[in-house]
Amino acid sequence: MAPPIYLDHAATTPVRSEVLEAMTPFFGARFGNPSSVHRWGRDARTALDEARSRIAACLKAQPDEIVFTSGGTEGDNLAIIGPWRMRRLHGRNAVVTSPTEHKAVLEVVHQIAREGGEERLLTIGTDGLIVPKSLTTLVDAQVAVCSVMWINNESGVVQDVPAIGAHARSVGALMHTDAVQAFGKLMIDVTVLPIDLLSMSGHKIGAPKGIGAMYIRRGTPFEPLFHGGSQDRGRRPGTENVAFAVGLAVAAELQLAEREQECARLGAMRDALQSAIMARVPDAVVHGACAVRAPHILNISVPGTDSESLLMALDLAGIAASGGSACQSGSVSPSHVLSAMGVSRSLAGAAVRLSVGMLSTDEDIARVCDVFPALVAKARRLAGAA
Amino acid sequence: MSGKRVLVAMSGGVDSSVAAALLHEQGYEVIGATMKLFCHDEDLPDRPCCSLDSVNDARRVCQSLGVPHYVLNLESAFGRDVVQDFVDEYSRGRTPIPCVRCNTFTKFRDLARKAEALECDWIATGHYARAIRGDLYRGLDHAKDQTYFLWGIARDVVRRLLLPVGHQTKAQTRAVAHRLGLEVIAEKVESQDICFVPDGDHVKIIRRELGADAPALQRGPFVLENGTMVGEHDGFARFTIGQRKGVPGGFAAAMFVVAIDPPTRAVVLGPREALLGRGLVARGVRWMCESPPGVGARVEVQHRHHATPVHAEIVRVDGDEIELALDAPLSAITPGQSMVLYDGERLLGGGFIESGTRASRRLELPIVA
Repeated sequence: MAPPIYLDHAATTPVRSEVLEAMTPFFGARFGNPSSVHRWGRDARTALDEARSRIAACLKAQPDEIVFTSGGTEGDNLAIIGPWRMRRLHGRNAVVTSPTEHKAVLEVVHQIAREGGEERLLTIGTDGLIVPKSLTTLVDAQVAVCSVMWINNESGVVQDVPAIGAHARSVGALMHTDAVQAFGKLMIDVTVLPIDLLSMSGHKIGAPKGIGAMYIRRGTPFEPLFHGGSQDRGRRPGTENVAFAVGLAVAAELQLAEREQECARLGAMRDALQSAIMARVPDAVVHGACAVRAPHILNISVPGTDSESLLMALDLAGIAASGGSACQSGSVSPSHVLSAMGVSRSLAGAAVRLSVGMLSTDEDIARVCDVFPALVAKARRLAGAA
Repeated sequence: MSGKRVLVAMSGGVDSSVAAALLHEQGYEVIGATMKLFCHDEDLPDRPCCSLDSVNDARRVCQSLGVPHYVLNLESAFGRDVVQDFVDEYSRGRTPIPCVRCNTFTKFRDLARKAEALECDWIATGHYARAIRGDLYRGLDHAKDQTYFLWGIARDVVRRLLLPVGHQTKAQTRAVAHRLGLEVIAEKVESQDICFVPDGDHVKIIRRELGADAPALQRGPFVLENGTMVGEHDGFARFTIGQRKGVPGGFAAAMFVVAIDPPTRAVVLGPREALLGRGLVARGVRWMCESPPGVGARVEVQHRHHATPVHAEIVRVDGDEIELALDAPLSAITPGQSMVLYDGERLLGGGFIESGTRASRRLELPIVA
């Protein structure tokens, strides 16, 4: 059997060899605690500060505006709850987000509502974009934070974060964006962007799972969720994961250096995949195709199939892909993102997300262009027979 | 290689894990699948079956065998075919048997369809039963035999069914688990009760599905067979035929539930002898055997799990309805439960009990207490 093909880069990526190499000393001789006064401590602290500066540079931020986290979920939690807890005391008790957000944002907003805050959900059009009218209606002077994911992890749709942020700020709301998928795909310059908070994750860009970073613009009101130390200026106490912080910095720099070239390569592969599938399965539906999409994501539904069966068939054929949101047990449920875009339940239940990335090659794509339509045809024959 | 792919339904327990391991050892291309039948995040943290830990155990077993494992979301179909019927049956004053419906519809219909989609030639489970040339036989370990729950499977599914542990005892199954290094699951406790009913409290499920004001959960009278009211109960769904717990005392002999009458919400009580039946009517009958027996045929009938079967004669067949005259009386013939027909070890078919009658049509004999 041919080697398996990994088309799930939006879920996670392998650690890059450069990253692993940069981290290795910190699992050995350079094991110090950055808070210690001795030479081991100084050495670790220097490495941590350097990693922080390098990540800041990737966003054109100041080093003190960077907080290390355990990843995207923690970053989203901190970036929304942290400011809301401060600002609710000053008449801003509402948080605004969209129904197509990652659960790490949606559940946080629900939690805020349970704690007495006000939850406001923007309207999403069939193109996957936020309806501008709902933005101007919902984001007003009562809003503490407005949170919108830049590149949607399921559809790949790119929201107009600069415009949304500009409006949010015009009424005094803070702007947060979940940039977990966007980092390394879009140019991010916080000196010109109207955003106050941003979260990103390491394992989507070739760093390990368990590390991420959050950008907090200077002067942003913020109450930490954890207590018990002065690390990261008290915003995120706990002994820092120096090795992973260094890994994140290396991965982020590589990602930026390769950004334009890699995006062009990924976009070409994604487009080739999409047109090959559409040529052989003309009634397939590509989600988010009417909006600007990130180059690495193809979310497609074939009427008359279901994603659960198709994903298993793809896996058995050696192709790794994803469906809607995977639940804890690993089973697949229809995606809340596609539902919010007005996609019917049956079509949403057929959605398969293929995401290209660092491991993808033209040969992979050529094989998937053959195998995917063949599996679809088989699935439809069986569904027709049942 | 094709012709040997098998989808194994894995609960994470020892029986289905060993089934998968044995088939893998025999050279089958095994694909493990765990059915997700209801939501995992509330109410049911420690169930031996169907909990998140069980999914994880099944996945670990597959990983150790080096075979793929998937979680199949059958929640909505299970809710409709099994849970809904479960509460409906209770509100009709009957005692449902959800495991039979789960096997009939969820495991051996919906899962079997998934197996087709994955081009599996076979499907397998960890049931104690034997599938031989398209027929089902009792498991070799009679104490563990599960054919009572399997009568609803379609014949064409039985033809591609593999039941590896049906040919061994439970002790042997555990021994195989140890031999194959499946220590994670080798000594797991058996799943008890009904997987989606937390703490065996079926009333909780009825309340959740039908609301606290469901008639089956309202106060009603305890009456004797002659109509005398002897007390009050707080919901006939709490009772089943033959039940003694919760029944008022103070009678010369112990009293049992002998009937439930939903229109009057009455729970009818009688002495032990009143539970005995000589006749049995069942509906929704399905035949497992190639040529179903007709009127006059001699069969063995089992009216509950673990009950000893009795000989009987088929006295009437109307479509999917059947009436039996029993050679010996059976106690507590309970509407909603299964009656399963056997020819020795071989499963002939089964149906849902509609009613038991004191006298049989054929014999017209009085009850001998």
